[in-house]
Amino acid sequence: MSCHGPALAPVVGHSRVTMPAASSAAVRVLLVGGPNVGKSTLFNALTGARQHTTNAPGTTVELATGTWRTGGRGTGGRGLPGQGAASSATERAIVDLPGTYSLLARSADEQVTADAVQELGAGFGEGGRQQGVVVVVLDATALARSLYLLAQVAETGVPLVVALTMLDLSAAATDSPTATMAPEALAAALAASLGVPVVPVDSRNRTDGGLRRLAHAVDAVADHPRRVTGIAAPDVASCDHGHEIAHAEVLFSWVEQVASALTPEPASAAPGQRLPSPGWHGRQTFSDRLDTVLLNPWAGIPVFLAVVWLLFELTTAFAAPLQSAIGQLVNGPLASAVTWALGQFGLADGWLQGLLVDGLLVGVGTVATFLPVMAVMFAALGVLEDSGYLARAAFVADRAMRSLGLDGRALLPLIVGFGCNLPALAATRTLPHARQRLLTGLLIPLTSCSARLTVYVLLAGAFFPDHAGTVIFAMYLSSVLLVLGAGLLLRRTAFRDVRSGPLMLVLPPYQRPHLRTLGMSVRLRVEAFVLRAGKIIVVTMIIVWALMAVPVTGSHPVGHVPVGDSLYYKVASGIAPVFTPAGFGNDHAAAALMTGFVAKEVVVGSFAQSYSVAEPGTPTRAASLGERLRASFGDSSDGHGGAAAMAFMVFLLAYTPCVAALAEQRRLFGWRPTASALAAQLAGAWVLAVLVFQVGSRL
Amino acid sequence: MGAALRVTGVRLAAADAFRLSEMGIRCGTLAHVTHYAAFGGRVIAVAGSRYALDGGTAALIDVEPVTCLV
Repeated sequence: MSCHGPALAPVVGHSRVTMPAASSAAVRVLLVGGPNVGKSTLFNALTGARQHTTNAPGTTVELATGTWRTGGRGTGGRGLPGQGAASSATERAIVDLPGTYSLLARSADEQVTADAVQELGAGFGEGGRQQGVVVVVLDATALARSLYLLAQVAETGVPLVVALTMLDLSAAATDSPTATMAPEALAAALAASLGVPVVPVDSRNRTDGGLRRLAHAVDAVADHPRRVTGIAAPDVASCDHGHEIAHAEVLFSWVEQVASALTPEPASAAPGQRLPSPGWHGRQTFSDRLDTVLLNPWAGIPVFLAVVWLLFELTTAFAAPLQSAIGQLVNGPLASAVTWALGQFGLADGWLQGLLVDGLLVGVGTVATFLPVMAVMFAALGVLEDSGYLARAAFVADRAMRSLGLDGRALLPLIVGFGCNLPALAATRTLPHARQRLLTGLLIPLTSCSARLTVYVLLAGAFFPDHAGTVIFAMYLSSVLLVLGAGLLLRRTAFRDVRSGPLMLVLPPYQRPHLRTLGMSVRLRVEAFVLRAGKIIVVTMIIVWALMAVPVTGSHPVGHVPVGDSLYYKVASGIAPVFTPAGFGNDHAAAALMTGFVAKEVVVGSFAQSYSVAEPGTPTRAASLGERLRASFGDSSDGHGGAAAMAFMVFLLAYTPCVAALAEQRRLFGWRPTASALAAQLAGAWVLAVLVFQVGSRL
Repeated sequence: MGAALRVTGVRLAAADAFRLSEMGIRCGTLAHVTHYAAFGGRVIAVAGSRYALDGGTAALIDVEPVTCLV
C-alpha cells in the first residue's frame, strides 16, 4: 500500500508473521480475505489437522498456521481427492491471516494482515528469491467489496491466486448481481479481467476438485509469478488524507471496471452505483425473512437473551454431569489403578504415590473435567458463527456494550462468565479486534462464576442467616458493578485506544453449519487448550501438592502431612496478616484464599479441612463450620465478623478466579497482560475488601 | 423501507467514512433499507450485501430517493 495515514488508518504497531515449520523450500502461502468470506473454512479444508494456532509475535492476535500438503505416498499426508497417488508430495506453509476489508489497518488484527502481505511483497520487490503466493479469497456474493481488497494486495506486487467462495450461496441465498452466473463462467470472466488464476472452491466439498485446482494454481504461480493486470504500485510520495482518498478512488474505479465487465450496468448508472442489486426494489432473501424476526426491534433482544441463556445452560447444566463423571473417573478408578500399580512395585504410600496421584493425576483430572465445558462452548460458538447469527448478535447487543467501547459480541462472553469464566474467556475469540478481546478478557474474571456461589451460600448462611438471599444477590450486583466500573476505568486508562466507533457491520447470509468442519474446529481448539493452558494447570497442581506434602512442624513423612503442619499452611499463616485491615487476617481464611486461587469450588472444602485440623479437640456438636467461621472471623475482626465475611466475599469475587482461567488468559493474551491483570486483581480485591470492612465495621 | 435510495453524503469522522467507502458504501451508492432494528439501527442492502448500521451512524448517511434507474 501507499502509506498508512494517521487520520484514516491508525497504525497499530508492526508484527512479523512467523511461518509454520514446513520444509525450508516450501512455498509460503498467505490466505487473505474479508471477514466471513469462508477463509478459515478453506484453511481447515487445506490443512486438515496439520495446523496450530499461535499469537502473531508481539501481539495478542491469534493466527492459524499450517502445512498444506498434496500428493505423494509414504509422507504421512493425505492427498486431496483426485490427486494422483504416484505424484510426489508437495508442501506449502500456509497462514490464515485475520480477516480485513482493507490493508489500511484500523486494528492490530488488520495490521498483522497488512504487514504480512507487505513483507511478502517487499521480498519480491527487492529481487529476493523467496517463493510466496497470496491467495485472496473473494466472496462471490460481494464481489465489489472483495475486489477492493484484492486491488490493495495486488499493489504490493505479490504473486496472486484468487479463490472464489460462497458460490453455493450466491444463487440461492442472496440477491447478489452475479447470483445467476454459473461458477465456472464467473471464474473465467474474473480470470480474464484480472490476469491471474481464479479458482472456484467449495471448502465443504473435498471431491469436486476445487481444492486440487487451487493447489495446482498456487504451485504454478509460485513457479511463474503472475500479477493482477491493470494495477500498478502506487505513488508513495504522499501519505496524507487527501492522497489516500484520491488513491482509493482510483481503486474504486478499477473495481467498477472489473465488476461492470461481469454484469450489465444500467445505462444511466452514476459513478459508485455499480453492481446494483437486481432485488433492490425489495425482493427478500431467506436471510431477510429470518432477520425480520431476529433483528426486530421488539423480538431481537429477547431472542439474543434466549441464545445467551442457552449458552449459559450448555456450559453449566449440560456440561456439569460430564464434568462430574470425568472427575469421579479420575479420582476413583483411575487413582485406584495408579495406586495399585505403584503397590506392585512397593511404592504405595510413599511420596511418589502422593506426587503421582494427588499432584499429577489431580492436575490432569482438573484439565480433563474442563474438556466438556470447553468443547461445548467451542461447538456452540462455532454454530453461532458459521450460521451467521453472531454478526446479528453484535448488532442487537451493540447498544449495551457501547459505553465500554466494546463490540456487541462482548456481551455474550461476559454473561457466560457468570456460569464459568473459562469458556467465557474462550468465547472472546469471537470479537473482531485484539484490544477488544483483551479488554473483555480482563473483565471476565470479575463476573461471579457459579463456583463462587458455594462460598457466598456458606458465608451468607453463617453470618446473615435472615438475609442470606439478599447478601447473595448483593454479591451478583457487585459483580455487575465491578465489570462496569473496571471497564470504564480501563477505557480511560490503559485502553484509551479502544473506542466505540460507529457500528458498520456486514451481515453474512444465514447458512447451515457444516458438521465436519465444526467438529474439526472444536477438536483443534480443545487440543490447543489442553496443550497450552493444561500444562500450566498441571504444574500448578503439582506445586500445590508439594506445598501440602512438605512438613514444617511435627515429624511427618513427606506426602503424609496434616494440613496444619504443612508448608502450605505455613505460607497461609505468613500471608494472613495482609488481610488484617480487611478483618479476615486469620490462617483459615488465608489458606482458603490460597486454595481458591486453584479453584473456587474447593474453598468450602478448604475451610472444613483447616478447621478440623486446627481445632481437633473441639466437641463435635459445637463444631459446625458456620460456628467456627463466626468464631475465627469474629476474632480477626474485633467482633465485626459480619463485615469481615462481606469483605472476604468481595475479595473472593474480585481476585483471580482460578488457575485454569489464568492459564487460559495466558494462552489467549500472553504472559505480560496476564501477570499485570493478576497483580491488578489482587491489589483491587484487597482495596475493595478493606473498604468494605472498614465501612461495614463502623455501621 | 424497501424504497431505492442513493447515498449523497456521509457525515461521519473521516476515518470512519473512509472505511465505510472501502466496505462499499460511498457517495453514489444505491441502497435500500431492509430492516429497522432497536435503538434506531438499520440494515441496508447494497449490491447484494446487507450492512448493519447503528442508529447514530445511519443518521449521518445522507440519501435521496431514486425514482428511476434507466
